[in-house]
Amino acid sequence: MSKILYVIDNNTKKDYNYKIEEDTIIYHFSINSGSNVLIDLDKEDISLYYYYNDINYDDNIFTIKVNHNKSNTHSELFNHGVNVKDNELSFKVEGSVLKNSAKCICNQDNQIINISDGKSTICPNLLIDNYDVDSSHSAYIGKFKDEDIFYLESRGIPEKVCYKLLLNGFLINSDSIEYDKIKDFVLEIEKI
Amino acid sequence: MLEIKNLYCKVKETEDNILEDFSLTIKKGEIHVIMGPNGTGKSTLSKVIMGHYKYEVTGGDILLDGESILNLSVSKRAKKGIFLCMQDPTVIEGVSNSEFLRTAIGEVSGTKVNLYTFIKDMEKAMDEVKLNNNMLHRSLNLGFSGGEKKKNEILQLKMLKPKFIILDELDSGLDVDSLRIACKNINDYLEEYPDTALLIITHYPRILEYIRPQYVHILKEKKIQKTGGIELAFEIEKEGYNGVNVMMGNEENE
Repeated sequence: MSKILYVIDNNTKKDYNYKIEEDTIIYHFSINSGSNVLIDLDKEDISLYYYYNDINYDDNIFTIKVNHNKSNTHSELFNHGVNVKDNELSFKVEGSVLKNSAKCICNQDNQIINISDGKSTICPNLLIDNYDVDSSHSAYIGKFKDEDIFYLESRGIPEKVCYKLLLNGFLINSDSIEYDKIKDFVLEIEKI
Repeated sequence: MLEIKNLYCKVKETEDNILEDFSLTIKKGEIHVIMGPNGTGKSTLSKVIMGHYKYEVTGGDILLDGESILNLSVSKRAKKGIFLCMQDPTVIEGVSNSEFLRTAIGEVSGTKVNLYTFIKDMEKAMDEVKLNNNMLHRSLNLGFSGGEKKKNEILQLKMLKPKFIILDELDSGLDVDSLRIACKNINDYLEEYPDTALLIITHYPRILEYIRPQYVHILKEKKIQKTGGIELAFEIEKEGYNGVNVMMGNEENE
């Protein structure tokens, strides 16, 4: 059974430091905020799942760094942002595996959807100093795919409602998220 | 039901037409098949009827029940009862099957969907198409096999109850048993709603062993070149498109 944490930022800039010593899931929801997240995986055989979901209106930077300080540690980062206006949103994402940390899994998936013509950047970095590591990263910046909209529309769903469905699916990207803990964020999605 | 009159269409921002002077009339309750070599525009036709964003109609008209649908959005065409069962259904991560279908049913019917009724209807339909109940909560087509995707299309068809159905290569990616199940569900649907018209796009006559059409059309060189009965499909399977003289003997289907 994993420890589950909910973090909600609303128009703030904060620093978070986590020393992880047990299996942990962190759901981090952000409304127009920037934050620096530093995570140390300090015990062998533990996993971290980090879901960052961001609705952005101004210029903001989200930075997250995961240090695999022990062997056989596992991190999965899912960073999703929606850049609503013509502004700048940046994700700086770093996974670091030390020389003595063997058999680690270090993955990251980063996506930003631009609703308008904002400028978005993703810097996905993997600093791996061990030969026995399973690691991957991905980054996507763009609009929702036309083919997705066409498919949904072809079943009678108007374009505006298609976007609502896609935004919900993109920003609440785990079945285990409890809606009553993120009410403000759910309401914010409706405003996009 | 559906009339395609002297249709010309092309991919947007290109010059050459894919279909030229293409005409076809499909009446209530009729089953038509379009066959043709690769790249002759069969799937394009299905997408143009549905209003796909990549294509532009440069001439002619498409009418549903006497009214042009060319100026209607994709969703409005679907609301009028057109359903395209896609050759390669799109995967949409994050949007669950149940959320998607409940939204679609609500939009098409124009009423709020009762959750209890929806779940009961879905469970029944999923059982009929032999889809596992757990797919209800999975992302739309994510991780589905080719067969499951096609069955999911049939499930949507059953739930949305269209009056004009296009099956774009339903038989591709389906094993024999799955094809039989899919076709049985379509036949049951046609029996329950006998006014429904069906347009089947296929390369092979195998599907026609399960769903019997009244008309088979050969699409070649941008328009229908020959129309016949089901025997034409089997003749093509035997002789190939080059073996059958498709440029002669047009028969009107009206």
